[in-house]
Amino acid sequence: MANLISRAFGGLNEVRRGLATVFKHTFREPITKNYPDEMPDLAPHFRGRLALTVNPETGDHLCISCKQCERVCPDKCIEITSHKSPETNKLELIDFKIDHGLCMFCGLCTEVCPTLCIINTNDFEMADYSRESLIYDLKKLTLSQDESAFYFDRKEMPLPKPKPAKPAPAAAGAAPAAVAAKPAAVPSVAAPGADAKPETEAPEAKAPADSKTVEVKKPEVKAEVKEESKPEAKPEAKAETKTDEPKADEPKADEPKA
Amino acid sequence: MFSNGDEIFKISRLTIVWLAGIFTIVWMVCWALGIALPMLLTQQLGDKAALTNEILRAATPVIAILVFIPINAMFMVLIERRALALWTVRKGPNRVGPDGNFQTAADAVKLLLKEDITPTGADAVMHTFAPILFFAPSVFGAVPLLAAVTNNHPLFRVLNLPTGIFFVLAAGALPVVALVMAGWASNNKYSLVGGLRSAAQAISYEIPLVLSLITVCLMAGTLDLVKITEQQAGGILNWNLLGGGALTGLNNALAGGGAKALATSYFMGPISYVCAGLLVISLIISFWLYLTGACAEINRIPFDLPEAESELVSGYNTEYSGMKFAIFFLAEFTNLFIVSSITTVMFLGGGDNPIPPYILNNIPGIPQMVAAIRDSYFCSTLHIINPETFFATLWVIAKVYGLVIFAVLIRGTLPRFRIDQLMAFGWKRLIPLSLIVFIIVVFAREFVICHG
Repeated sequence: MANLISRAFGGLNEVRRGLATVFKHTFREPITKNYPDEMPDLAPHFRGRLALTVNPETGDHLCISCKQCERVCPDKCIEITSHKSPETNKLELIDFKIDHGLCMFCGLCTEVCPTLCIINTNDFEMADYSRESLIYDLKKLTLSQDESAFYFDRKEMPLPKPKPAKPAPAAAGAAPAAVAAKPAAVPSVAAPGADAKPETEAPEAKAPADSKTVEVKKPEVKAEVKEESKPEAKPEAKAETKTDEPKADEPKADEPKA
Repeated sequence: MFSNGDEIFKISRLTIVWLAGIFTIVWMVCWALGIALPMLLTQQLGDKAALTNEILRAATPVIAILVFIPINAMFMVLIERRALALWTVRKGPNRVGPDGNFQTAADAVKLLLKEDITPTGADAVMHTFAPILFFAPSVFGAVPLLAAVTNNHPLFRVLNLPTGIFFVLAAGALPVVALVMAGWASNNKYSLVGGLRSAAQAISYEIPLVLSLITVCLMAGTLDLVKITEQQAGGILNWNLLGGGALTGLNNALAGGGAKALATSYFMGPISYVCAGLLVISLIISFWLYLTGACAEINRIPFDLPEAESELVSGYNTEYSGMKFAIFFLAEFTNLFIVSSITTVMFLGGGDNPIPPYILNNIPGIPQMVAAIRDSYFCSTLHIINPETFFATLWVIAKVYGLVIFAVLIRGTLPRFRIDQLMAFGWKRLIPLSLIVFIIVVFAREFVICHG
């Protein structure tokens, strides 16, 4: 009997303590974040969407087609197409495909990359309507010069040496000036050049650019691509506003190049 | 002041504005139908209007309840969600309208426009009748309470029953049938289990609930709700929560009766004092028994086994959607409100001011304020405010919503019972305890002069 009474009082006391604890929460700030309105404060090494950087100073594509990322990827979601340039005897990037539907964001590819080209961005809003649209090609993956500069700064990565500097000693040794011009010109025309143009103009400009490229292959997907390109462009705009990167600077930086 | 002052301010502003709105609307409807229209008719038609006036007077309380229930349920859902959010350290609804305050209105519109589905193999008639049978008792069960919660306002006086609490308890026992009906008619095993659980639970917890109320009725000597409230008038020491009149002698002594009042109330000397103490403890236990039983009776957490989402996929209302589900939802919150009202009337003194009149009347300004309200144009000519019932009703509102908020706090704290724990707790703990309390009260009240 005494045991029963003491247990009853003990139980009541526990209930009282519980109620008091819950009531004390009245005076605590809610821990909920207004996510779609306010972006979460992500760590610099947050492993989000994969992207390819360019040299923030010159705009050269940093990928050297070494295929180390392709080899290390546990999901085999990276596919690199390259060919050996007959003139320079170096590998030239043709296409770079990452299937983000397969990727598990382990970040191994970013660790092996010798030129700090492939990185994990802080963008995580990649929802899409089909599996096919999760396969990002070279153009979708390559960041603009400003974005690259931002991520180099944010992740505290050492800035890459400018590419012309490498051929320069070679040029001083034997090769003619034409060789020095070639590596610099090819990537900038192939990838960042094509990418920079839509970046300069707003997302509306990107839609026709996308559809034009697809038009050649399969014209029936044209309307779909147009629609898709908009949500794809939006997260980038959002990422920029959230990371305090001045958007007004972007056209200015790209205009002289174009 | 607090780190969360903003949220607290929002929730209190919401409460005050909504409650003021609800009760103004309901009272204006009552006043227009029950007072203004009969006054106008009598002026115009004379004696010929007598029959119409009688009909209007009889219809007024019912219409008032029907207007009140949906608005009140909307408010209670919103305040429950906001308060729960406050106590679980998150943000409540904040999308629809200013601060998300139109959330429940939007939900109501959605529920009303939704398709009404009757599952294949279900008993369509029973499936339709179950929500109605669930909702109806909460409407007519509330009727005799009206006179008690408005301090016997002339408009609602007709509804008072000499066996008020008996009627309310009888009405409160009916929804169980509806839940079993809903579960059985749904052609769904989860629903059936939910319905049967609700039957088992309601039968087990009805006993301590009724026994705790019988204890109060025993102290009061009557089943009449209005009489029970009137007995408790005169400050917190007279309330049934604190001994059901066992402390009335103390109250009278403090009011100016002195030792003489003490001697008349506690005529047996030390035995009387011990018995008074026993009565106070018994009635407080009774109060907790009632709250526990009521929680189980209206299927609220921690006794929400019939609709346990994680176990039974929402139990008896799994197969309900649209209007029928809305009615279930409405009735659940109305039941919570009614249970809180019964607690207020039976234990917390109804519309009584917790501060005794001998203190209140000595505070400068308050008697003058009451007199000024009484003499104003609104009261004396238009009868919009009845000063006898106005403050009482305000106190009832404060107490009832305080209990509702307490139920929400309990919901935010306690986990759900397991079914065997529920049964063991009901039959092996609560029922013996309520019987012990009942017997103590039966004997102890003979040695103290109390209400009855």
